[in-house]
Amino acid sequence: MADAAAVEPARPPFWRNVRVLRFLGQVGFVVLTVLVLRELYLNLAFGLRRQGLDLSFDFLRQRAGFGIIEGISYSPNQSYVRALQVGLVNTLRAAAVGIVVATVFGLIMGVARLSPNWLIRKIAQVYVEVFRNTPLAVQLVFWYFAVVLTLPVIEGGFSLGDFAFLSNRGAAIPWPRAGPSFGTWGAFLLAGVALGAGVWVVRTRAFDRTGRPHHRVLLSLAVLVAVAAAGYVVSGDPVELDVPESTGRGYTGGFQMSPEYAGLLIALVMYTGAFIAEIVRGSILAVSRGQKEAAEALGLSPAQQLRFVVLPQAMRIAIPPLNSQYLNLTKNTSLAILIGYPELVFVGRTIANQAGRATQVLLVWMGAYLVLSLSISFLMNLVNRAVTRRGEGR
Amino acid sequence: MRPRVNLQEDVDLVGLPLEDERPVEVAPARVPATPGEWIRDNLFSSVFNGVLTVVTGALALYLGYQVLRWILVTAEWAVVKANLRIYMIGRFPLEEAWRVWASVFLVAVLGGLSFGVSGHRLRWTLRKAALRAALAALVVGALVFFLDGPRIWILTGSVPVLLAASLKAGRAGYERLRVPLWIGWGLAFPVVMVLLRGFGGVPPKLWGGFLLNVVVAVVAIFLSFPAGVLLAVGRRSSLRAVSSFCVGFIELIRGVPLVTLIIAGFNLLPLMLPSGMDLALIVRMMLIFTIFSAAYVAEIVRGGLQGIPFGQYEAARALGLSTTRILALVILPQALRSTIPAMISHFISLFKDTSLLAVLAITELLRAARRASAQLEFLGAKKEAVLAAAVLFWVVAFSMSRWSQRLERRLGVGER
Repeated sequence: MADAAAVEPARPPFWRNVRVLRFLGQVGFVVLTVLVLRELYLNLAFGLRRQGLDLSFDFLRQRAGFGIIEGISYSPNQSYVRALQVGLVNTLRAAAVGIVVATVFGLIMGVARLSPNWLIRKIAQVYVEVFRNTPLAVQLVFWYFAVVLTLPVIEGGFSLGDFAFLSNRGAAIPWPRAGPSFGTWGAFLLAGVALGAGVWVVRTRAFDRTGRPHHRVLLSLAVLVAVAAAGYVVSGDPVELDVPESTGRGYTGGFQMSPEYAGLLIALVMYTGAFIAEIVRGSILAVSRGQKEAAEALGLSPAQQLRFVVLPQAMRIAIPPLNSQYLNLTKNTSLAILIGYPELVFVGRTIANQAGRATQVLLVWMGAYLVLSLSISFLMNLVNRAVTRRGEGR
Repeated sequence: MRPRVNLQEDVDLVGLPLEDERPVEVAPARVPATPGEWIRDNLFSSVFNGVLTVVTGALALYLGYQVLRWILVTAEWAVVKANLRIYMIGRFPLEEAWRVWASVFLVAVLGGLSFGVSGHRLRWTLRKAALRAALAALVVGALVFFLDGPRIWILTGSVPVLLAASLKAGRAGYERLRVPLWIGWGLAFPVVMVLLRGFGGVPPKLWGGFLLNVVVAVVAIFLSFPAGVLLAVGRRSSLRAVSSFCVGFIELIRGVPLVTLIIAGFNLLPLMLPSGMDLALIVRMMLIFTIFSAAYVAEIVRGGLQGIPFGQYEAARALGLSTTRILALVILPQALRSTIPAMISHFISLFKDTSLLAVLAITELLRAARRASAQLEFLGAKKEAVLAAAVLFWVVAFSMSRWSQRLERRLGVGER
């Protein structure tokens, strides 16, 4: 016995030692990867040098020289950097509005798919099946080339009593604009928000103390609206209505949508809306039946069952796939290259073709989309945390 | 509670357990018996619902009438008829078109045999019969309108004949045909490639139209599947170098829009390849789609891998299996099975994404449609030209998603 304990366990030779093997394997993998990447890089650099190009980003400061049809102020005399900024802002404009509208639209369609009304259910189902199973690129081309551009020309376009316009030059509707006394009214608004928040806190405390219905949403909104209305009267028309006018070549004033923007937005909303509808439907169905029955047994009204039992749980399920739909929508704005809406990829491609710097442009795209994706994921994580904090909190 | 597969929900349609297909555990309070009762229950259950039904019903009828009228009367489908060849095969030379037909026949025979072997039979209820009759009438009507000449009629007509014949053969052969069929499907892809390209065939740069969309999608699906599985396994590897490489690759590819990758494949890939290795544009695009798809497949497989209880690893290890064998024999078969629905929906969206090739000067279906609508004599027929392409895409994507739903039910994925 004593002898056996004294014997040291035989160590395996190094070529059979798992730790050594793992280390060697990793080293081999890294060396191989680096070699392949180096080969690709050298080929690229060589090919570029043969064309008289390099891999520096200095060219971005050169004069752009091409026009961009819409977006923040820009002239062809400004640099490539400015052109890319215009593109980025246009991407953001399409993505942000698209996300909001698609969510609302998808929510409506998703709930409609669960309607007790057969007709509503079927209409929503047809919508989802048609738009989900057709490529976005095809839909985009259809909406832009076959619908928006075939609207009447601007002279014969639709107009709603000289207030709103629609033609193949785009759409324009009246839009509020800050008047001279907007600052005064802004102060009232802030005061209203503060008062409303105060009412919210007071009512919540009262509810905690007495358990009677708090009506905090209703009451605080009422306070806010009352203060804002009073301020509106006192400060004297702080908001003016900016009515668009037709110039014969386009529209000025009001809120305008170029044909490209309108086409892109319609396509993105219709396509993504179909997916969001499925997410909404799936999430509501995924809340187990017992939850709803239990809520019913507690005597909650159908609206209360939805508000306090089903929706909070459904939201928790819906947020991760919604997040990925938002990311998809943002990336899908790049399809606008098919219709010439000047977003980031369109502008970048123009630069790449003009300056020949495709590599650098690709890196700019990667960086930009990485930042965009991360920001959306970050925001959605905040929402997710807010939603999961209630209840069990997974 | 049944274990929920924790899929990474980054891919379209992934992961939500749609439980409406499951049998309802609680009997409905009252089964509507007569049509009158059904109408009352489903259309006029309350005042609000009644109003909703009337308003949307009127609107739907009006819109439906307008759309039907447009399709049957107003629309100028001549643009599609005149360009049918461009739509289907692009600039593929007409005298070589037999290669495409042969491929179609091959797939039809294999498909028919598989359907026969599967033992699945169409169920005929009154509603389904009516639906199928309407569908058949629609297809035949469209064919009568679009196809000219006896040659194309004979060729098109032989597809359903072949399908039916091989279906019968499949039913007769049943179990005996299982293994040969798997081999047949495995060989189908290289055979079709040889058919199209080999023996003085047509170079890829002349491939086009719908054929190209299908070929690019199939190539990407075939190649990206193993690559994606490797990436997913690599991502979970305990070797830090391997896993961080896989994470980096996957996140990089998934972080950018496909359009930018396509443009990179157009502009940069030729420069990066070693000199003397000139890939045709189409081949480069196949490569790009494969890389793109592999990253998404990897995430789906990772979701499946995460759904495998750890006990499975431990049990396999306790049996003395090596790591490779644990993966190949125990983990992957279970993981892949649970990912089938997500995988198919990813492949559907990949197929739809092939329309993005229109960004480059490649005459795939969407580009073909746009080219057709730009012809002088068809300038007014933009809607028709694009809609025809949309319908083709839709038919394929929709039937694939239906098939996936059926498969999902049959495999009982999500039920266990």
